[in-house]
Amino acid sequence: MLEEIKRVCKELLEQKKVDAIVAWRRKNGREVLSIFKDVKDLENLSFSPLSVNNPAKLVMEIHRNYRKLGVIAKGCDAMSIRQLVLEEKIQRDSIFIIGVSCKGVADLRKLKGKKVEVKGWNVFVDERSFDWIFENCLYCRCPTPTYYDVLVGEFREGYRGFEDVEKIEKMDEKERWDFWTKEFSLCIRCHACRSVCPVCYCTECIVDPTNLAISSTSTAEEKAKYPRILGRKVNLKDNIVYHVVRLFHHAGRCTKCGECERACPMGLPLTKLERKLEKIVLEVFGYDQVKETVPFFSKLEMVG
Amino acid sequence: MKVYNDYFFRDLAAKLREKGYKVYVPVKVKDYYLFKEGDEIDLSGYVNTMKPVKEIIFPQNEVLIKYKDWIEEVPLDKSKKAVLAVRPCDAKALDLLDKVFLEEFVDPYYKIRRDNTLIVSLACKEPCNYGFCINFEFYGGDSIAYEIDTGYAVDALTDKGREVLSLLNMLDADKSVIEKVKEQKRRFEKSFKEKLNLNEIVNAMIKNFDSSYWKDVSTNCISCGICTYLCPTCFCFDILDEENVRYRSWDSCQFPLYTLESSSHNPRAEKWKRLRNRFYDKFVYMYKRKGEIFCVGCGRCIERCPVGIDICEVLRGVKF
Repeated sequence: MLEEIKRVCKELLEQKKVDAIVAWRRKNGREVLSIFKDVKDLENLSFSPLSVNNPAKLVMEIHRNYRKLGVIAKGCDAMSIRQLVLEEKIQRDSIFIIGVSCKGVADLRKLKGKKVEVKGWNVFVDERSFDWIFENCLYCRCPTPTYYDVLVGEFREGYRGFEDVEKIEKMDEKERWDFWTKEFSLCIRCHACRSVCPVCYCTECIVDPTNLAISSTSTAEEKAKYPRILGRKVNLKDNIVYHVVRLFHHAGRCTKCGECERACPMGLPLTKLERKLEKIVLEVFGYDQVKETVPFFSKLEMVG
Repeated sequence: MKVYNDYFFRDLAAKLREKGYKVYVPVKVKDYYLFKEGDEIDLSGYVNTMKPVKEIIFPQNEVLIKYKDWIEEVPLDKSKKAVLAVRPCDAKALDLLDKVFLEEFVDPYYKIRRDNTLIVSLACKEPCNYGFCINFEFYGGDSIAYEIDTGYAVDALTDKGREVLSLLNMLDADKSVIEKVKEQKRRFEKSFKEKLNLNEIVNAMIKNFDSSYWKDVSTNCISCGICTYLCPTCFCFDILDEENVRYRSWDSCQFPLYTLESSSHNPRAEKWKRLRNRFYDKFVYMYKRKGEIFCVGCGRCIERCPVGIDICEVLRGVKF
């Protein structure tokens, strides 16, 4: 599969269909996103269970600097890109999506500090394979991209169950409260979950301690009166507000790439929150992100 | 140097508790460790804590004053604390923080915590995954314990540390133990694959401030606060008022709002400028101001960076 990806990339670069390609590069036992401009450099291109990062946000940031920017996208990445195109953050005609079918990426936390070897789509630690898959990927809705210019790999069916969310729903109120308060009290509010999220692109964020940027014409009084939703204080109360506010803005938009959970240094199960939200959006509003072509909030406006 | 042929940290923790200390030890939470008040000390599998020891001396939130019409209270934390099994690099980082908080202007909140906190460090036997401490002075703490076959060999580095050793019944270390510890240190220092040429790097950085290199290395940066919040030497904070309380909280130079001025001008609005600032602050500005590089090589920022920015790799890549 990697050979096929490289072949497609080589062709695109050689025929000057794209100026550069955003893809993963192997580096010190992990893989990072990188911009490939040269055909010769393509030998360093990698696609494996370690290709965890979602390129959508990087593409959003840099695609305007290129005539045409290629990007290799897994199912969830392609969904993120599609979401950003729908929200007019990415110009569709200035990117070229090389969709790749994905069998689920590795949970880097499980590989931490171990000697990792990748063979095909399998991860070995000390020559033994084990349960390395990122839990979020077990519930992947579209392992094969549905939004692409060229597709590499075979079609794989997505999974639409919510067993993980139901497990938390089954807890009684106190148990669930204890579960989440224990998690949220660990948060250090580094805002990595927000910063890494492809659909969290606002330059002014309501959870920042000085939100709603001031302008050069704002008077002192205006500045003093700007609402501050959240301080910088890190405690359970404020952490809950931070996470709930952050979450609400993802209704019908989160593409379940799992970047938030992966980024979190304190290991909060953030994708579980996003999946609960997905379930609500699906059950209460009947909005299925995978099938829809109109953003959730626009759809709500059209209906009501 | 003294020798203790038993569970040193367990017995020391018990003695310190008797003396009225709050004792913090590495406690396993999920798949990592945090310093918490705990009774059980299980160091099997312990490499380092996720958050460095600075959070005990310089907590993430700290109330500076409580006020109504006038200042009602200036809460100072006078409790006696002890932190056990701190890695030497993190302990050394506190010495660096002292230069910020105790030289010139003395920060009373920091000082009282620092004076009342005892740091007992635990030397590493082998390098951790991302550690590059070999490039720095990295033995710190009030006293430092080395694991040996029979138990622990403990060395006091400060007067506070010497007092600790008198709490337990310890034997004087004989020549063979001292030699063993030296050998352990030697082996540890040798097991690092490479050493950075920091002198040259710092000089190269001074020359390359305007280089486009900083744009290249920051392409993937997402401007989160992980690298600075988990850094044992980062000390930036913000002061805010809330419900009759003035408090300070950690802040990060990687956040876009960090340098936003009231006039709406932002000198570091672009992320590459912020990332560059992180490197220059640690390796150039603080070196010029305090004579020390503000990095101890713990490797947390490398390990936890969500997009894989590696401080060593960036340093190595600065053009000479």
